Amino acid sequence: MKQRTRNWLLLAPAGTWFLVMLIVPLTVVLIFSFGERGASGGYVPALTLEQYANLPARWTAFKNTMVLAPAGTMAALLIAYPLAYFLAVRASPRWKTILLVLVIVPFWTSILIRSYAWIFLLGGRGIPALLGWAGLEDIRLINTPFAVLIGIIYGYLPLMVFPIFVSLDRLDKRLLEASSDLGARPWHTFVHVTLPLSIPGIATGCMLVFILLMGEFLIPAMLGGGKVFFVGNALVDLFLQSRNWAYGSAVAVTLVVVMLVTVTAYMRLIKRLGAQREDVAIM
Amino acid sequence: MNSAGYIQPEANVRQTAIAELKGVSKHFGDVIAAQDLNLAIGEGEFLSLLGPSGCGKTTALRMLAGFEAPTSGEVLLDGEDVSALEPYHRPVNMVFQHYALFPHMTVAQNIAYGLKQRRPRLPKAVIAEKVSHALEVVRLDGYDRRRVWELSGGQQQRVALARAIVNEPKLLLLDEPMAALDRKLRKEMQLELKTLQRKLGITFVLVTHDQEEALSMSDRICIMRDGRIVQVGSPQDLYDHPSSRYVAGFVGTSNFFDGTVTARSGNLVSVRLENGMSVETSRADGIDQGQEVCISLRPEQIRLKRSGEGVPVSVTNRIFLGEHTEYIVNHQTLGEFLVLSPRQSELNEGQFDTGDLLVASWEATAALALDRT
Amino acid sequence: MSNNNNYISKQKFMEELYRYKKGSVTRRHFMNVTGLGAASAVMGAAMPGLLPRPAFAAGDIGDRVILATWPNYHDPANFDAFSEATGARVQVNVFGSNEEMLAKLQAGGSGWDVYVPTNYTITTYVDLDLIEPLDTSRLPNYNAPSYDPRYAEAGSVGGKLYAVPKNWGSTGFVVNTKHTDGGQPLTTWKEFWDITMNQFSGRTTVHDYQLTTIGNALKYFGYSFNSIDEKELADAEQLLLDVKPHLFAISSDIQPSMRSGDSWLAMAWSGDGKQLNTDMPEIAYVLGAEGGELWSDYYAIPKGAPHMDAAYALINFMLDPAVNTKEVLAHGYPTADATTTAMLPVALQNDPILYPAQDLLDALEFGAAATLTDPNRAELMARFKSA
Ligand SMILES: Nc1ncnc2c1ncn2[C@@H]1O[C@H](COP(=O)(O)OP(=O)(O)OP(=O)(O)O)[C@@H](O)[C@H]1O
Ligand SMILES: [Mg+2]
Repeated sequence: MKQRTRNWLLLAPAGTWFLVMLIVPLTVVLIFSFGERGASGGYVPALTLEQYANLPARWTAFKNTMVLAPAGTMAALLIAYPLAYFLAVRASPRWKTILLVLVIVPFWTSILIRSYAWIFLLGGRGIPALLGWAGLEDIRLINTPFAVLIGIIYGYLPLMVFPIFVSLDRLDKRLLEASSDLGARPWHTFVHVTLPLSIPGIATGCMLVFILLMGEFLIPAMLGGGKVFFVGNALVDLFLQSRNWAYGSAVAVTLVVVMLVTVTAYMRLIKRLGAQREDVAIM
Repeated sequence: MNSAGYIQPEANVRQTAIAELKGVSKHFGDVIAAQDLNLAIGEGEFLSLLGPSGCGKTTALRMLAGFEAPTSGEVLLDGEDVSALEPYHRPVNMVFQHYALFPHMTVAQNIAYGLKQRRPRLPKAVIAEKVSHALEVVRLDGYDRRRVWELSGGQQQRVALARAIVNEPKLLLLDEPMAALDRKLRKEMQLELKTLQRKLGITFVLVTHDQEEALSMSDRICIMRDGRIVQVGSPQDLYDHPSSRYVAGFVGTSNFFDGTVTARSGNLVSVRLENGMSVETSRADGIDQGQEVCISLRPEQIRLKRSGEGVPVSVTNRIFLGEHTEYIVNHQTLGEFLVLSPRQSELNEGQFDTGDLLVASWEATAALALDRT
Repeated sequence: MSNNNNYISKQKFMEELYRYKKGSVTRRHFMNVTGLGAASAVMGAAMPGLLPRPAFAAGDIGDRVILATWPNYHDPANFDAFSEATGARVQVNVFGSNEEMLAKLQAGGSGWDVYVPTNYTITTYVDLDLIEPLDTSRLPNYNAPSYDPRYAEAGSVGGKLYAVPKNWGSTGFVVNTKHTDGGQPLTTWKEFWDITMNQFSGRTTVHDYQLTTIGNALKYFGYSFNSIDEKELADAEQLLLDVKPHLFAISSDIQPSMRSGDSWLAMAWSGDGKQLNTDMPEIAYVLGAEGGELWSDYYAIPKGAPHMDAAYALINFMLDPAVNTKEVLAHGYPTADATTTAMLPVALQNDPILYPAQDLLDALEFGAAATLTDPNRAELMARFKSA
């Protein structure tokens, strides 16, 4: 009995938080999504599927999000992994600390301010000017999906590096020696020992980055010049510009559903990957 | 004293050398982990590296495996210099101290790992065959699909062993493989390991700081100290002819008395002990007149009698051990020392008790004058 | 990009950065408003006793007043002077569109004391009961007869005064003449859209604002800037969709990219035009010959303003012709107040960007209230952006 009371007490703060910050807003949004827009904006109660029927009007936003979020996640992974590997496996303890701090430092500044640096770097007087000297004329980077991708990779890299770093750092280095001792070349050791043992880190990193990217709006707004439009941007517009709360709610609900479906599928995949290794016969 | 004099591969090694360290040193910055190691390891032999913590045993082993490159000197395998060869190119396998089993693989996958690296590839059936054979050898049949973290410490150790021997390496290196096991299991495994080594005919190099383990398993023992090899020899050799006080203390137990050499005659030297007593001892190589030495006297070489020739002692303590009885006796000026009496001697002389006044004696050849280091 | 009291929008940041670069703001001010000096601000706020607070004759109006306004639209020195005089610090939130302002107020809890709505939105605020009627007795500096009624009349609804004029201006476009044929500026909205789809592909910026972007697209066809006719809107939408691949950006923050040379052509409010033209004479400000927007911004107090006294004090302070003069000099938007205008340098009084020629002015239209609430215009803009 006492134990039970204590368990409840332990769960109370998180539970309350969960209820107030997640369940309640989601319920409100769900109710709104079946309503209508008021004459001068806002929400008028109704029970209609009209908002959902209108979803195709935001198809591009969903498409952009569903293309650039996974692409950004993959690109961040491809860049983060070697970095995390270097930090965890190769770097000497002193360098490890210094480099880790360097990875975190950008987080101390607002992404907004850092994005301004990128606006300059990708703008006509930045990298394109350098490319111009190299003979590549009229390369435009700013306000393109590519610029958004760069911003995404840059902004989310630490989020990807850390979980992978932790899983690689925890990895028993003697396993690598054991593999080498058993005749495996470095590449083979990487594929059969290092990589499988860092899958938890990769899975966490990808999940974190992907989920956050699905809701991203700042980077596309700043580096995409308002032309590369994510669902997040559509939501900002619907709530702040056209004040169509009902439709905005429907888009938000759809985004949450898409997110849940993708993440569930992803978890299944990761689990299957893990299970598969178990099922494979010894060869 | 230079250890080199005691290492005579030609004389000590029965078979041809399969591995050899030639003047090998390893420095980690300022730390000298190994200094001028010379050691030939014969084919099929069981060699132990014995020494206190930090003396460079693991370093020597890692240079044989290829994980460390020597700072100077050569590592030979089968007569070829492999100093620059990567671990994965060496026909050598290692059993790690904490086994280093791959946690994401089954027992069978762990054991098959080395076989799958072979080029040209081995047929699957051959690999399966070898794996199940290796499991049999380490008496783990039926465990192939188990996850390694489900196994007990002893079972894990056997998987590690199987994972190494399945590759039929020319040289099997074992870094304190039994350190993590409890005493009883360790005894069992020592026996198993020795049997296995005989059966497979693979050359074993075992690192240990447990002298009993080294004495009971090895064909030869290499005693190390501060990064150097002090003496190499068979267990009996080391026991009977230690080259220094250090070795005598490391292999078996002994009583030590400091003194100075006063005279030499043939194989014997006279040593004046610190209390002024003069003792005849058998002479080890390189002991000279006037040298400060240490006399080593093994407890079982001392006889206790109620009367007769010898030094007078009183019994301070008696421990009955069945086959033997251990006495701690006290001499007025020499202090306390240990005597091991066989059962027979007690039957002859009667049982000695604490406080009894006795005489202790020994053959002149039983006492050894040794370098003090 | 929404704003709250302790977060700085990108427009605001850029605005402050330029101010700082141009030397009109002290480094300390820059650090404070951008949050770079947040730590010290927090320290100060946590220990109010540490903040210097002079004693005031006029009585205590509180320690702060929150203003919702537009980018590049004030002289920070005036805010400092206000704080100095009253002890109330001015917290500034900047916005990109009237829609955004309305959305914030509609959602409730904005916390604003003063805001700056544009002429055509005021009736909607009155309808929605989001705006406080003004008590002129608390605005002694407001000398109604001195104001040009053309830019002041939208402040009264149903005979009641809700808002007093801040500045007025036009919406045209800026063009970098380095890139035009013969260095000549363009003259019409038709040219604006046509050159975007050809020679200037990838170089044009349009506002992230339905009123001006749709309105100026409507002008391409000669329709009213304020049209809510479905067929006309459909034409405008088609034009916008055709143009979209050729745009540099959809953004109301046009100055940075015009200055850096990434963008060559951009919709612009006259003040943006004036500021750019002053710094870079090759950038010309043009009013499309077909017309476009004429607008007037007002100071108003939202219903439920938390610091009502401070709100009146701030508006009254800003209406002081001496203060207002400094404002105009800083941002380059004309005022409807004749007293203030008379105090401006003659060159500025004759500036063609601030005070366009009569024929150009006559072609312009004030925004219509219907455009703010019309769901089709809002949705058209959203479709264009998400296309
Ligand atoms: N990678 C390294 N870097 C620096 N010093 C090292 C390194 N490896 C070993 N040493 C040092 O070299 C010396 C020998 O170490 P080694 O591990 O060979 O000892 P050991 O005989 O195996 O000891 P133990 O019985 O405790 O395992 C020690 O002083 C150790 O600190
Ligand atoms: Mg060791």
